[in-house]
Amino acid sequence: MGQTHTVQTDEEHMPRRYKKLYLMLLEVIPSSVLMINRNMSIIFANRNFLEKSRRSMDDTVGHQLEKIFPETILDHMNLTRQIRLVFEKNQPTEGRRLSYRAPGVPLSIYYYRLLPFAWEGAVESVMLLMNDVTEQTRLSEEVRRVERHLASVVDSASDIIVSTDIEGKILSWNLAAEKTFGFTFNEVRDHHFYNYFNPEARERICNVLQEMKTRKQSHMEEWTVITKSAEPVPVSWVYSLMKGGNAQATGMVAVGRDLTEQRKLEAQLVQSQKFNALGVMAGGIAHEIRNPLAICSSAAQFLMEKDIDPEFQQECAEKIHTNIKKASSIIENLLSYARPSVSPEVEQINLIDLTKDVVALIGNQARIQKIKVKTRLPSHPVILNGNTRLLEQVFINLCLNAIQAMPQGGLLVLEVKTAGHEVLVRVLDNGQGIARENQDKIFDPFYTTSPVGMGTGLGLSICYSIVQQHSGAIEVESTEGHGTCFIVRLPLKA
Amino acid sequence: MTNNQQTILIVDDEPDMCWALENILNHMNFHVQKAFNGEQALQLASENRFPMAFLDAKLPDIEGLDLARGIRESNDGICIFIVSGYFYKNDKEVQQALTKGLISGCIAKPFDHEEIRTAIRNRFSE
Repeated sequence: MGQTHTVQTDEEHMPRRYKKLYLMLLEVIPSSVLMINRNMSIIFANRNFLEKSRRSMDDTVGHQLEKIFPETILDHMNLTRQIRLVFEKNQPTEGRRLSYRAPGVPLSIYYYRLLPFAWEGAVESVMLLMNDVTEQTRLSEEVRRVERHLASVVDSASDIIVSTDIEGKILSWNLAAEKTFGFTFNEVRDHHFYNYFNPEARERICNVLQEMKTRKQSHMEEWTVITKSAEPVPVSWVYSLMKGGNAQATGMVAVGRDLTEQRKLEAQLVQSQKFNALGVMAGGIAHEIRNPLAICSSAAQFLMEKDIDPEFQQECAEKIHTNIKKASSIIENLLSYARPSVSPEVEQINLIDLTKDVVALIGNQARIQKIKVKTRLPSHPVILNGNTRLLEQVFINLCLNAIQAMPQGGLLVLEVKTAGHEVLVRVLDNGQGIARENQDKIFDPFYTTSPVGMGTGLGLSICYSIVQQHSGAIEVESTEGHGTCFIVRLPLKA
Repeated sequence: MTNNQQTILIVDDEPDMCWALENILNHMNFHVQKAFNGEQALQLASENRFPMAFLDAKLPDIEGLDLARGIRESNDGICIFIVSGYFYKNDKEVQQALTKGLISGCIAKPFDHEEIRTAIRNRFSE
């Protein structure tokens, strides 16, 4: 080691092997080390310093501090004064940053400290310890720049973006979230995400969080948000797992889209299509209502006759009573169907009752077209969560389509079957069927094979969107000339 | 209404409707045979000779006008009225049937008893 002579050491106090170890450490550490004496002269410089400053040992050791560092740096750092203070106080300085450009070398940023080397109470020299933090600084600035960029992406997004920890506590919340929920990030930070939903959604969110921990797949569902002003807002969510470096789940990201506007448009569409269906049913309804009216009218005319037998009089009154009830139940069904369902409330539905209502509504139309309606229903109730009016619309549309497909009469079967966690509703006809090449198009809006003015081509696309809203699926199986079967799958209430 | 031995055929799938027509006809001293569908009606028509029939326009197994054609095959000269909540008198189908002589008239539900009585009087005063 040719440099040993440069270090002022006391051979008596430092055995040779410790000295060797000490020098080795100084050579290998990734920090620059300078030792300075009271005369502000350099008494030691390690290899790291020499490499960084592009200096040799000879033009460093034994030279004055001002020869080593440019004047501007010395002034800026106030290095001489700082060193004197360390000599006086025998106290190390706090860590500071220093930008240093050695001639012909790119700018480097150092983190430095001054440490006193004291022997038996007297400060002999001061150590200037410098760490090159250029790369770290550059990286952390880059990181900050990327962070700022990402934050502005997240905040500029019109979709709600929320991140939570694995337990569902909110970690971040973008501007769209503030806008929809009405709460600022500070108000929701560390609160549980499910606090801001309606009770059904809360339960689902907890389940989904649990499932996600094991399933690790993203999940799509519609949950109703409760805003700060207690308004319910329908939002479609995609919930995915956030993974750390070790592929371990660290939290969740929820991306949501406010469905309010979409729902309004859909409701208008559903309503206009409903009137279309009502138009189709009008003939059947007129026929069906005129029967009880005719009977009431006849019975009343009998009652107006003279010398009427009291027994017959009673019979007439009973006929009037029964048939008024019949007529009003037909009207009742119709009115409840025609009523608009602007806010699609989700409620618990027994699909069996709903199917029976549908059969009552389309029964008249089927009868006048010589169509037999058969139901195959389980004896137990089939409960699911959904909107009665919307689901009723789906099955009425499917039945009216089936009726339309059987102009010469036929058989319409409604079958309800549960299978595992879902229920399958089949609407089956033995009508003309759908040509294979048209089967892909039937759910497209405005696709129709009906003559102009007969069908809007919206019925099945509305069915499709309603079933999708209920997290279900709709399929068709058809053989041209033999009939069609629509299958609606809906999840049962858990 | 001299011939009180005449029997009139009533076809309607709604029993109360048959009840009303039956009472009107009974009060006029006519006998009545009732059928609730096309099959029963054709069976009765093949077993009897009816001078007159009142048919519903929409039956579960057959259209009223098709039934009229069937009845007419075995009951030549029968006077058939369609009693309907579905057709109007000026509907094309009804007009055609009237011109062809398939039916003699169409009475819309609800009806005044007098409309039925007039139809009967016209038939039996011929």
